[in-house]
Amino acid sequence: MSIADSSVQPDLSPVVNDGGQAEAEAAPGLSPWASAVRRLRRNKAALIFGALFILLVALALAAPLWAQIADTTPAKNHLSDTIVVNGKSEQVVTFDGVPIAPTWQTKFFLGADQNGRDVAVRLLYGARNSLFIGLTAAIITAFLAVLLGTLAGYFRGWTDAVISRSLDIMWAFPVLLLGVALGVSLALGGLKIGPIQIQGGSLWIPTLIIGVVSVVYLARPIRGQVLSLREKEFVEAARAQGAGPIRIMFGELLPNLASTILVFFPLLVANSILLEAALSFLGAGVQPPEPSWGTMLSDGVVLLSTAPHLTIVPGLMLVLTVLSLNVFGDGVRDALDPRAKVRLEH
Amino acid sequence: MPRSLRGALCLSFACAAAFGLAACGGDDSSDSAGSSTTGGTAATDAGGKAGGTIKTAYTSFPDYLDPALSYTQEGWQSLWTVYTPLLTYKHADGAEGATVVPGLAEAMPDISADGKTYTLKLRSGLKYSDDKAVKASDFEHSIKRVLNLESGGASFYSGIVGAEKYIKDGKAQADISGIVTDDATGDITIELLKPDGRFPYILTMVFASLVPGDTPFKNMTKDPPAGVGPYKFENVRINRGYDLVKIPDFAVTDQQVGKLDKIEVEIIKNRRRQTQDTIQNKIDYMNDPPAPDQLRDVRAQYTDKRYKEFVTNSTYYYFLNHKVAPFDKPEVRQAVNFAVDKRSLARLFGGLLEPGCNFLPPGMKGYEKVDPCPWGDPTAAPDVEKAKALIKSAGVEGDAVTVFGNDEPESKSLAEYLSDVLNDIGLKAKPRIVEGSVYFATIGNQKTKAQAGFANWFQDFPHPGNFFFLVDGKSIQDTNNQNFGNVDVPEINAIFNKADQNADIDAVAGEYARADKLLVEGAHVVPYGHRKLTVFYSERMDFDNCTVWHPVYNLDFTNLCLK
Repeated sequence: MSIADSSVQPDLSPVVNDGGQAEAEAAPGLSPWASAVRRLRRNKAALIFGALFILLVALALAAPLWAQIADTTPAKNHLSDTIVVNGKSEQVVTFDGVPIAPTWQTKFFLGADQNGRDVAVRLLYGARNSLFIGLTAAIITAFLAVLLGTLAGYFRGWTDAVISRSLDIMWAFPVLLLGVALGVSLALGGLKIGPIQIQGGSLWIPTLIIGVVSVVYLARPIRGQVLSLREKEFVEAARAQGAGPIRIMFGELLPNLASTILVFFPLLVANSILLEAALSFLGAGVQPPEPSWGTMLSDGVVLLSTAPHLTIVPGLMLVLTVLSLNVFGDGVRDALDPRAKVRLEH
Repeated sequence: MPRSLRGALCLSFACAAAFGLAACGGDDSSDSAGSSTTGGTAATDAGGKAGGTIKTAYTSFPDYLDPALSYTQEGWQSLWTVYTPLLTYKHADGAEGATVVPGLAEAMPDISADGKTYTLKLRSGLKYSDDKAVKASDFEHSIKRVLNLESGGASFYSGIVGAEKYIKDGKAQADISGIVTDDATGDITIELLKPDGRFPYILTMVFASLVPGDTPFKNMTKDPPAGVGPYKFENVRINRGYDLVKIPDFAVTDQQVGKLDKIEVEIIKNRRRQTQDTIQNKIDYMNDPPAPDQLRDVRAQYTDKRYKEFVTNSTYYYFLNHKVAPFDKPEVRQAVNFAVDKRSLARLFGGLLEPGCNFLPPGMKGYEKVDPCPWGDPTAAPDVEKAKALIKSAGVEGDAVTVFGNDEPESKSLAEYLSDVLNDIGLKAKPRIVEGSVYFATIGNQKTKAQAGFANWFQDFPHPGNFFFLVDGKSIQDTNNQNFGNVDVPEINAIFNKADQNADIDAVAGEYARADKLLVEGAHVVPYGHRKLTVFYSERMDFDNCTVWHPVYNLDFTNLCLK
């Protein structure tokens, strides 16, 4: 049985809401988690943006369905095809290389790109890739950060020194440059660690890169919190009962880190999606033929004035996704610990 | 030293486009040069007024402003106005401009019966722009600089007797035994290891331009050496620009005199801004094509008034690796040739590609249009059903293929397109995009086992041999291979072996045409077109009278003039 610590558990003290008005939240009989959920439900902005995120996920899941309706695939080129729009026959890509603008009908609903591929279909498949990478990378980050942060904070001494200095070294590298360097070098040859082999074009390459380079942002606060927690009475009590380090770390400390991880997680997902888009924009992230919002933006830049939809559409999706995650993440933070000031800072 | 693929040097379309060098061949009586004295009768063009200053825009600074080192079109375009080799080309467009004529040599070389010894004589009375006299020994010094500085052009001159030893010894002042010069008489004798029909063209290259004998063995871009030409470099600002200033008293018989007093070259990295500035007459000429999203408007408003497109001597093709399945089977290569839609590919270039069936470009000596094209009309729809049937009969349905391309926008799109086509006909393809600077080294390494992918070539000089080495069996090597598809067809190799040794290109043009046809009919590669480049002027420029698109150096600066 773990012993709760009020300083890191969901807070029951009065909440300062968006308007800055104090609100008495202490409700006798409610658990801290139920209280946090109650706070979250009262935060309309967080709920709206949370719903928006769920809608985006639903759209991403529906990508194959839309591709079937549009009668194409995300990689299918239609360079010399023509379609009928408002009764007029139009080229998907003109002789000048200018792709068709949004037709607002099933085929080329959001227009085509310079290879004559359906932007709407690529956008939805790109959403699947972005969300897969964002979520998976955030899970990897959270796992590694909790592991390293807990080990460093609990054992202190040389363990802490090695882990913390390693994180310092990672921190010293601009994360984007580090990601580009790793992405470019792994894109061709892939990754082979013992029996695990990942092909160069696999989505797992950018996922692992982003997951690893983001560790430092969560591992440090986790370490700081563990350093504080390990001195608390409930840890002393567990130790007095004969619990070993593993049991203390995973049985006593980890449950007390849950709220911190929960607060960070949506922000990590948003950060990972942004980093994926940046890496893909620079050619070091998602590799063709897989679509990605980053590569769609990169491909569209050269036709900015004649085919602005190529950059506006994926850009807008990126903004909406990251905004929804950030606003929802802020809501979760306010609900779990209204006094905390959690930010991912580069 | 392996020759770098010129396209591989590109960092952007702008730069890639800049490598375009066009046209070839032609009959001209210019091998009977006139006397070679300064103050003689220099060539002048009839059209356009003289004088004035213009401003031109480049997207990037030339790689070097040193004739021994420059290996880009931006560099060569300016350097050709400042330096003159022993042999050169006329400042003319089309076939006339591709004909080799004497430059600083009095006449075309005497070639020994065995084709290995070239004898030339320097014109008398020549002076550099700094008034120093030109000496025959300066030629050897110029070639030494190319070899000693490990220039990209060094491999062109490694066929000279003693050149390899000179490189190996690493002593700058050492002698190249195969070059004998006599300053008193102006005689220059060059001995080759074996006959090479391309050697007169190699002597026309900017690398072989004469510079003073005391020019240091180092990159002289900051302070370019003196040359013999109608212009000289001034005000060189690395990565920002430079000026080409007319030499008022330049007069070498038959050599072109510049019309403009000064040509200011400014580096403007943003092509949109260049286009806008040209439209607004702030810039008089932009070297690269207008930005893709502005091209349509420029075409619509300025074609044949201020804007024109030219087909270059270049070839864009997909290589199919003969040594790696499934392209070791002729039916599979035929299927790809049937399935590729060249009209679609032209769209990927924004229309700046002339679809074609031949490997040789139309402006090249030896070009004979393969008509009808065995794989269908390049301007018509492809025969995908036939391609599918061939794949099925070859028993390779579902075979995995990786299509290579680099991260330049067009190359990436081309790789994605081919990947889609291969999937359509029954293979299982995916593109692999490699960073541009290592792309050609990657696909040129046999260990990569690159199955198929993007390749291109812009001519170094207007000789078919400068294209066919890309598909010559003897070019195949383990690393830095430029015969990416490992094409090794004995019948075609034999044609190259024989024709390449003959310095009389007219005599062997038919043989090259036969090789081209065999290459296409055998589906050994998938050539799909030839790149177009553009000229876009301000209103101030005299478009009608002063636009000469040189087959090697693109827009000829010496012919430019104002209205």
